[in-house]
Amino acid sequence: MKNIVRKSTALTLGLALVLGASACGRGEAAAEGGKATLAVSTLNNPFFVDLRDGAQAEATELGIDLSVVDAQNDSASQANQLATAATDGTEGIIINAVDTETAEAGLAPIVSADLPIVAVDRSVGATKVASFVASDNVAGGEQAAKALAESLGGKGKIIILEGVPGASATNERGEGFTKGLKEFGDITAVSSQTANFDRAEALDVVTNLMQSNPDATGVLAMNDEMALGAIQALGAKAGKDVKVVGFDGTEDGFKAVEAGTLVATIAQNPAELGKQSVQILAKAMKDEAVEEVVQVAVDTVNTDNVADYVTK
Amino acid sequence: MSNDALLVLDRVCKSFGPVQVIDEVTVEVHAGKVSVLLGENGAGKSTLIKMIAGVHSADSGRILMDGKEVQIPDTKASEALGIATIHQELNLVPSMTIAENITLGRVPRRFGIINRREMRRIAREALDQLGLNLDVNTPVGDLGLAQQQLVEIAKALSLDARVLILDEPTAALTNAEIAGLFEVVSQLKTKGVGMVFISHHLDEIAAIGDFVNVLRDGKFIATVPADTPENELVRLMVGRDIDAQFPRQAATPSEQNLLSVENLSVGPLQNISLSVRPGEVVALAGLMGAGRTELIRAIAGADKYTSGTVKVAGKKLPRNDVAAATRAGLGHVPEDRKTQGLVLDASVAENIGYATMASTAKAGLVDRKGQRTRAEKVAARLRIRMGNIDQPIRSLSGGNQQKAVFGRWFSAGAKVLLLDEPTRGVDVGAKVEIYELINEITASGGCVLMASSELPEVLGMSDRVLVMSQGRIAGELATNEATQDSIMALAVSNVHREDEMGKK
Amino acid sequence: MSSVATTPKKGFDFKAFLANNGALVGLVVLCLAMFIATPRFLTGPNLMNIGIQVSTIAVMAFGMTFVIVAAGIDLSVGSIAAISAMTSSYWVTTAGLPDGLSIVVGLAIGGLCGWVTGAMSAYGKLPTFIASLAMLTIVRGLTLVISDGRPIATGDSVSWLGGDLGFMPVPILILIVSGLIAAFVLNRTIIGKNAFAVGGNTEAARLSGIPVKRVLVTVFVISGIFAALSGMILAGRLDSAQPTLASGYELDAIAAVVIGGASLSGGVGRISGTLIGALVLAVIRNGLNLLSVSAFWQQVVIGLVIAIAVGFDVLRRKNVRH
Repeated sequence: MKNIVRKSTALTLGLALVLGASACGRGEAAAEGGKATLAVSTLNNPFFVDLRDGAQAEATELGIDLSVVDAQNDSASQANQLATAATDGTEGIIINAVDTETAEAGLAPIVSADLPIVAVDRSVGATKVASFVASDNVAGGEQAAKALAESLGGKGKIIILEGVPGASATNERGEGFTKGLKEFGDITAVSSQTANFDRAEALDVVTNLMQSNPDATGVLAMNDEMALGAIQALGAKAGKDVKVVGFDGTEDGFKAVEAGTLVATIAQNPAELGKQSVQILAKAMKDEAVEEVVQVAVDTVNTDNVADYVTK
Repeated sequence: MSNDALLVLDRVCKSFGPVQVIDEVTVEVHAGKVSVLLGENGAGKSTLIKMIAGVHSADSGRILMDGKEVQIPDTKASEALGIATIHQELNLVPSMTIAENITLGRVPRRFGIINRREMRRIAREALDQLGLNLDVNTPVGDLGLAQQQLVEIAKALSLDARVLILDEPTAALTNAEIAGLFEVVSQLKTKGVGMVFISHHLDEIAAIGDFVNVLRDGKFIATVPADTPENELVRLMVGRDIDAQFPRQAATPSEQNLLSVENLSVGPLQNISLSVRPGEVVALAGLMGAGRTELIRAIAGADKYTSGTVKVAGKKLPRNDVAAATRAGLGHVPEDRKTQGLVLDASVAENIGYATMASTAKAGLVDRKGQRTRAEKVAARLRIRMGNIDQPIRSLSGGNQQKAVFGRWFSAGAKVLLLDEPTRGVDVGAKVEIYELINEITASGGCVLMASSELPEVLGMSDRVLVMSQGRIAGELATNEATQDSIMALAVSNVHREDEMGKK
Repeated sequence: MSSVATTPKKGFDFKAFLANNGALVGLVVLCLAMFIATPRFLTGPNLMNIGIQVSTIAVMAFGMTFVIVAAGIDLSVGSIAAISAMTSSYWVTTAGLPDGLSIVVGLAIGGLCGWVTGAMSAYGKLPTFIASLAMLTIVRGLTLVISDGRPIATGDSVSWLGGDLGFMPVPILILIVSGLIAAFVLNRTIIGKNAFAVGGNTEAARLSGIPVKRVLVTVFVISGIFAALSGMILAGRLDSAQPTLASGYELDAIAAVVIGGASLSGGVGRISGTLIGALVLAVIRNGLNLLSVSAFWQQVVIGLVIAIAVGFDVLRRKNVRH
């Protein structure tokens, strides 16, 4: 009996310590700009880490106490986090939804608490938001397709690497790819396969696809991670016999552009997304009027302009 | 036999691959009568039962119910015909109540909601048929094994079973519980239920059966009246005469103790002291729950004990350390070979070798050749009947499996054997062979401590009897002076004293 | 290789061969089907690709075989692969410590993680499912903490693991060597034999004097080390350790072991079977890519193959054991 008491005390103390330690990371100072929450789908991906960093920097600038919660790509935990935010004194929400379809239900407590909502990167279904800050995936897809087509001189066989099946980014970028390729009748997509936005998976998929399509000269990937996996699979051929185009503008993507293995990537500028959504939310929290849709610039990054991005 | 048989298996055959398990066997079940199926393990009794229960289908031959040929492709079909089987492993959900278990799979509903009152009524009625006075809201797991069995029988009756198959129902029951079960069986007889009864206890056959169907090696040998003398039954079953059921050859024990236990206490066990000398077989008798198994396990190092010492040849053993006990020459044949004694998927050789695997290894590598040679030697010496030493032990009969557990300790050179129900579920022929192994151990200067619920075994195979009751040793008897009555008197003696003390 | 050898019989018993090598027969049928569907399947380079692609899952599954044989389950292997790849890369790239030690560091981290899981279940009495599930999350979290969510370039040693020796890709070489080692340890040493005994019947093993707790910890350490090796091969092939590396691989590894004929209730399993199981998965993925089957249908097909492979195995076992 005594033993049990001792053990459970130790456990409770340990748990309290861990929680306390992780809470310290947040910063306790009361902020004049008010308190806001950024609910991010996952920090398992450098893109969202950049988005968070941009948002955090801007929040510090504006004196907003921004707490960041990470749903680890699980809609249910995001719903819980939002319900908690609705009651913890938060005055505004920036949401990067795990899933467009389920975000509506998760946001219900925020809507009933009448807090301003800014959706970033992914839309949130029918929920009324103050603003939707996003880069246009369709336009980006179109730009990517064009960049690849131009580097191939307007003809050849290409392989398309799809993202997670059913994800909105997959669908929208795919739509953009189709649009962009329409202008180039001499380019045929010989195979379109998923690698789930994952570098290691793309390595295997592209190795396999180059077996069945040894004459392919281009790879169009829905994100940089997969583009980098493709480059790994192509080895020495990357950038020479086979051109690769990615999407997202990650640090590794820029490095590959500099090295000449990646023709181009579409820079979404996640930090800018984070920064702008905080700016918009700050206005909304003061009841100022804001634009309903904010399009954050999407740039084609290639050897000509990559230097600007890397220094940034 | 007349034509009024409820159920007839007519010249059924069944083979698994090349092995003919059942060869033209004919068995009849009559209303209000108990047909006993008798045969050694592996004779084909369980396959026969499984045919009736719809688990296996016959390769040839017919099954007749009320004189009409029927097909029993699955267990549902068997149930629909009014056949219920009470297996050794009970088919109850321990966490659910008696009422829930009895109505399992056909829960009474009203408007889609469980009708608890109706459920309890059905259960109540079923228990009343057996004259059982139990609260139907009790979780089955809280009941003793005997009562659980009766609940299962009640469940079968509430399904209107007309044929009841009882597969070794008495194997895990005490004498009092067996008497209770037999009373229920007699009642069911008067109600016209036809029963098939399987048991290894010859003395039960006369008490409960009407006629006996003897099987041997899958073949039908004979149907004889239940009052046939035991020796004759054994001869029919084994196919040869067995001279003595209990061939104990007493050795002359030396003076100093080989195993000694001093003041051992844990849980219900209180200050147990005992000693066993080389050449001696000491039996532990007592009622179920008296603490025999707990004592054996504590000595073997399988469980912890709070105080006391265990010494082998004067050397103290560390507590709760099976490996140390093994090194000191202790060997433990546990109560249930399937759950505690054997790795059923592993081969005979591996099962025999577990206790010597570590001690014979070189640099972490198993001595494969040596292990195999040792296993083969032991298997031959113990006359383990098998196709091949690499065959999974699962496919051996109960008696041969048990011999393999003994073989493990023979191979490890154990001097002190701790046996817990050494012949449970073992047929007559193999039983005698196991008794001969006990003789061998004592003849070579080893000793045996044997817990057993079977008094004939206790009286037939030991030199001294320690009777346990409520965690204490209630008394000691020299076997040649002991009787079943004197042992039982000691086994219950303490209980009364405790009761009286409680009242004061 | 098997713990349960078959009875030697006169001549060739096709039925017995089928019963004991169901997964192998399945693999051959699968390969034939793929070859008929696309002749490119059976080309030297493609077979070499499959060899490389199978290496990560197979090596991971070798370790998993030990845990499953001992009647446990290890859900943490994917996370352990990631943390080992990450720490071995961090060691060189970020911390600037000697590259020669990086593989050893990665393996040690893997073994350590396995030890924690094993200790949690052996001494803390947590079911292995729960202990390893907890480690799955904890270790993945620590990987993110170390990497700050970003990929780290691998050092030369780890990159070598994913490289080529000219005639032979290093992953295939590691696959062969680690497979031989795993089979040797599982079948010839006390560690392996104890795992079979503990998995077959824990209580019987304990009453025979086998140190059950130590066996449990050991199999998890082995699983952790193999997972670490597998993670470093994967990172080596990418020249980069990803924080999300190998996530979800635990399920593939378990599937490979089970397709290979091991029983999730313990006591049965062999390394050759596990290799075949991993090959089945790799061949399906490769073939579906070659055939350009849509992403949606790929998932359906892989699931079906797992169900059929294991279902077939359950059936044949039932027949063998009547």
